[in-house]
Amino acid sequence: MQGLLEAIAISKRFGATVALDAVDFSARPGEIHALLGENGAGKTTLMNVIAGHLRPDRGAIRLDGAALKTGSAQAALHAGIATVHQSPMLFERLSVVENLALGGFGTTRLALREVAQQSAAMAARLGFTLRLDQQTLDAVSIAERMRLEILRALSFGPRVLILDEPTGLLAPAELSGFLDLLRALRDRGRSVILITHKLAEAMAVADRITMLRAGRVVAQTTPSQTSAEELAALMVGGALPAAARGDTRDGRGDEVLRLAEVGLEVGGRTVLEGISLRLRAGEILAVAGVDGNGQHELTEILAAVRHPSRGHLLIEGRPADAAQMRRIAVIPQSRDHEGLILDLELWENLLLAPSLRRRLRWAGMQRRAAAMALCRQVIERFAILAAGPRQKAAALSGGHRQRLMVARALESRPAVLVAYDLTRGLDVRAAADVARMVREFAAQGGAVLLMSTDLDEIFELGDRMAIISRGRLLEVAPHDRSAERVGLLMAGAVG
Amino acid sequence: MPTATSSGSRGNIVAALGKPLGALAIALGIVALALAVLGANPAATFAALLSGAFGNWLAATDTLVKATPLVFTGLAVSAAFSGALWNIGAEGQLLFGALAAAACGVHLAQWPRPPAIAVVLGAGTAAGAVAGALCGWLRARFAVSEIISTIMLNFIAVQALSWAVHGPLMEPSRAYPVSQALPPAACLYRFLPPSRLNAGMIAALALAPACYVWLFYTNAGFELRALGKNPRAAAFFGVPVGRVAVFAMGLSGAMAGLGGAVQLSAISHRLFERFSPGWGYEAIAVALVARLNPLAVVPSALLFGALDNGAQAIQRAQGVSPVLVQAAQGLVIFVLLAFDTPVLASWRRRGAVREDLASGRADA
Amino acid sequence: MLEAFLSSTVAMAAPLLLAALGELLVEDSGVINIGIEGVMLTGAFAAMAAAYATGSVAAGLGCAALAALAMSALFGAMAVNLAVNQVVAGTALDIFALGVTGVFYRRMFGVTGQALTVRTLRQVRLGPLSHLPLIGPALFHQNLLVYFSFLIVPAVWLALYRTRWGLNLRAAGERPEAADALGLGVYGLRWQALMISGVLTGLSGAYLTLGYANTFVEGMSAGRGFIALAIVILGEWRPGRIAIASVLFGAALALQFVLQAVNTGIPYQLFLALPYVLTLVVLTALGGQSHAPSALGEPYVRP
Repeated sequence: MQGLLEAIAISKRFGATVALDAVDFSARPGEIHALLGENGAGKTTLMNVIAGHLRPDRGAIRLDGAALKTGSAQAALHAGIATVHQSPMLFERLSVVENLALGGFGTTRLALREVAQQSAAMAARLGFTLRLDQQTLDAVSIAERMRLEILRALSFGPRVLILDEPTGLLAPAELSGFLDLLRALRDRGRSVILITHKLAEAMAVADRITMLRAGRVVAQTTPSQTSAEELAALMVGGALPAAARGDTRDGRGDEVLRLAEVGLEVGGRTVLEGISLRLRAGEILAVAGVDGNGQHELTEILAAVRHPSRGHLLIEGRPADAAQMRRIAVIPQSRDHEGLILDLELWENLLLAPSLRRRLRWAGMQRRAAAMALCRQVIERFAILAAGPRQKAAALSGGHRQRLMVARALESRPAVLVAYDLTRGLDVRAAADVARMVREFAAQGGAVLLMSTDLDEIFELGDRMAIISRGRLLEVAPHDRSAERVGLLMAGAVG
Repeated sequence: MPTATSSGSRGNIVAALGKPLGALAIALGIVALALAVLGANPAATFAALLSGAFGNWLAATDTLVKATPLVFTGLAVSAAFSGALWNIGAEGQLLFGALAAAACGVHLAQWPRPPAIAVVLGAGTAAGAVAGALCGWLRARFAVSEIISTIMLNFIAVQALSWAVHGPLMEPSRAYPVSQALPPAACLYRFLPPSRLNAGMIAALALAPACYVWLFYTNAGFELRALGKNPRAAAFFGVPVGRVAVFAMGLSGAMAGLGGAVQLSAISHRLFERFSPGWGYEAIAVALVARLNPLAVVPSALLFGALDNGAQAIQRAQGVSPVLVQAAQGLVIFVLLAFDTPVLASWRRRGAVREDLASGRADA
Repeated sequence: MLEAFLSSTVAMAAPLLLAALGELLVEDSGVINIGIEGVMLTGAFAAMAAAYATGSVAAGLGCAALAALAMSALFGAMAVNLAVNQVVAGTALDIFALGVTGVFYRRMFGVTGQALTVRTLRQVRLGPLSHLPLIGPALFHQNLLVYFSFLIVPAVWLALYRTRWGLNLRAAGERPEAADALGLGVYGLRWQALMISGVLTGLSGAYLTLGYANTFVEGMSAGRGFIALAIVILGEWRPGRIAIASVLFGAALALQFVLQAVNTGIPYQLFLALPYVLTLVVLTALGGQSHAPSALGEPYVRP
């Protein structure tokens, strides 16, 4: 059977890296086609090519047998291909209705009232509601944003709807409703392409499954012909690195970090409320939560760039003054925007860590020789693929940038390591390496506070577990540690 | 295997010189074309320019004289721009510096020379520092764009200067709007008369490496550069963003202010309206051609000093206005910017070895 | 006296308003054009040169718009297509315009340009309304450009907030990569804004020569372009408030003439500096609550 949409022999390189290698892909009307693969397998690149955001080096896109102009988002939209992105492509300072109006509601006149009416009707048909009166997106939740973007994509009347990891930002409780929505779209004859790395999701909802690995199609199958185990093996290509949990659970020591009723107001809004926790040497406390529930601000407080509005911190039993705060090393969520300065050299990036900056200076001068020597050591010890300390951080790959961040945090010899999304966007091996470094740190008596949006990471690394939701922290008792229970807690359904 | 890209400041010399000189050549090519269109002879004009700048001993020394304020303002702009602090106000800071220097200097007739000079230069430096730091503080405390505030201070400085030479500092006969001449005690040492070579040039030459060391070898300089390259990361790792902005703007203003004081004390001895022909604006071209490297500011300033000096000659020889040099400055900046366009880099990247982009884009 | 002041205020506000509205469109699309000062100066010179050569005010206006378009295009090529640092490119444009207008001026009219005058825009009296006490001359006895500049305020508002184009433009300034993903064509939108702004700024420059100076002086824009930038900030990127802010700065400029006429004993330089001081004070008082488009000034490279 011929597909409605056909991508034929698509190849795309970024520099020396082959992101897509002669990939064939098709989507038929009235089906949900899951595009599976590990991080870095090329799923998003393929989607960007189909949606016209990227021009492929070779290959063609056909719709109903007619060639589509590649590399033009406008052409793709006109032809009926709409996209819902991993992080919604919305405009923060436009109103909800204006965001919708940027969809396919006619081209010259701006009739916001009609847009609102049509959107509400469309939402009702799909079985959800949307608050249309918001003047900016400040107070619009992640799930609402996702729906908003889906509505906008549907307003183009697309025949092909591509969704890129749409469930990554949804709380588990919101998931089943979302999958129902996809089924409803399929039943209306749309062709839905669901990009995901979650096998269970694909098994649950897809009619067909295509698996990408390292830029190539490695399988085309259907849920009835395969199993989650088989898919998992295909996805990582066999050798799954041993996810051995460290035996950090025993060697627990004294309390090194205590937060007592920490609260934070930002611009009159309560971001954190009554956060209390204790962290002992040698343990990893994993805090699960959907983005935007206060993790970022908590990270900033622990990085000493923000002061809590209420409550206090104790580090190794002492009130957290500036010197004590330097006992905490922080790995922020965004490698490229917050964690590293890509335009500076590796040794300079090491010196970003406040305690290293202090250690490696004398009378206001940088101790360059010592810093370079340390950087050389770090490159060797943490197996960072780099020519030397004078190389710019921009020349490192994503995985090695993350190693550099972890190495920098550990080199500042902290009592507490705080990390937010430790392995996001890394391939399996890089993720395993980084996780191992952190586990070793804990095994040697370090305390780790790991915040993550990735439940796999939470379960793999955490000795203890907590949930952060709407700025409140809730510890999960050991007997409660099931994915369902944690999911419910994350969604704020319990407690 | 990723390869390290060389930075402008420390790459090999050919690569470092290639871009600025290439930009200059292209800009001058465009100017030549424009001259031909305007009916002047480009070759003769450039010949006149060259001989005006270096034709004889006096002309050559005068090129050095013209380059000196550009070294000071060029360093000021380089330092501020390194921290992504867009100080467009070197002009005003220089004028405030000259104004303060003149205001102090006229009272120092009875002083011995070294302390008098120290006071004059110190006053200029301080005034420039205050003007710069004010803009840094407005940015840090009230989020006022330093671009706008420094530009506004430029205009305010022009009016302040005008007021001073029409009012309190006006020369005793009160016939001309110029200030009273500095007493000899407050004037910087000059060498080899009739040339106007002077001790201010030595100060300029010493300031460049000092500025370089500060920017690339001290913790404060590092924090400024970190702020310039990635303000979010800098803030996250505890760089005191506000303090750095105030300090760096102050330092930048101080260097421009010192330039004004040196010009007054070594060359003009008097204040007058249009004291600066635009050294503070020209400094932006000087700094960009130097790729914000303080050491490279010296040759860059020399280049522009030569252009300025030669421009006087083309008026006489070819009837071409010396403001042509300003048009050329703008062109040089445009061409340099075009050389460094990120668009070009992304074209080049298609064939180059860059894993970072791939990992960033191919991540699902 | 007061009548003259009010009239002068409106007349002074008009070129600021024209330039600020142009800058508003450009900034809403995500581009900051510091070079607006240079564009204005170019417009002023072109208007004078053309009006002098042809004796026609209309030709002056047309040439001003064309020359300003050319300057804006130069900036657009740098800031939009080549995605270079917008502040530096804008400053380069200012320096370049100062040089170019200077060269042409001296080439065409000599160094002094003495006795060089052109016909000016005619004052249009709007019937009996212009005889109203106090506000009559200010509001109803001005030249056509003044009426035009105030009349386009609602036009700009409608374009920005009531057309699909305006929404697209604001989207491009808010999040260009998302706008491109929706097929809006960020580069095209930014160019359109720059071209409209070019015409408006060119007319604003023409106003300086044909509207009140009836001659050209090197560097005669004297920071009005920069003040327009401040007006956009002060007006919180809204056309109506920008009009009000323009009148405020128009008053500051008009005050110079009134107070110079009266001998107050206060040095006149203080009045000349007043608009610039006012800019600083007002921006400080706003205290940085920014209403700027999110992507303002950030170079955007299409993937």
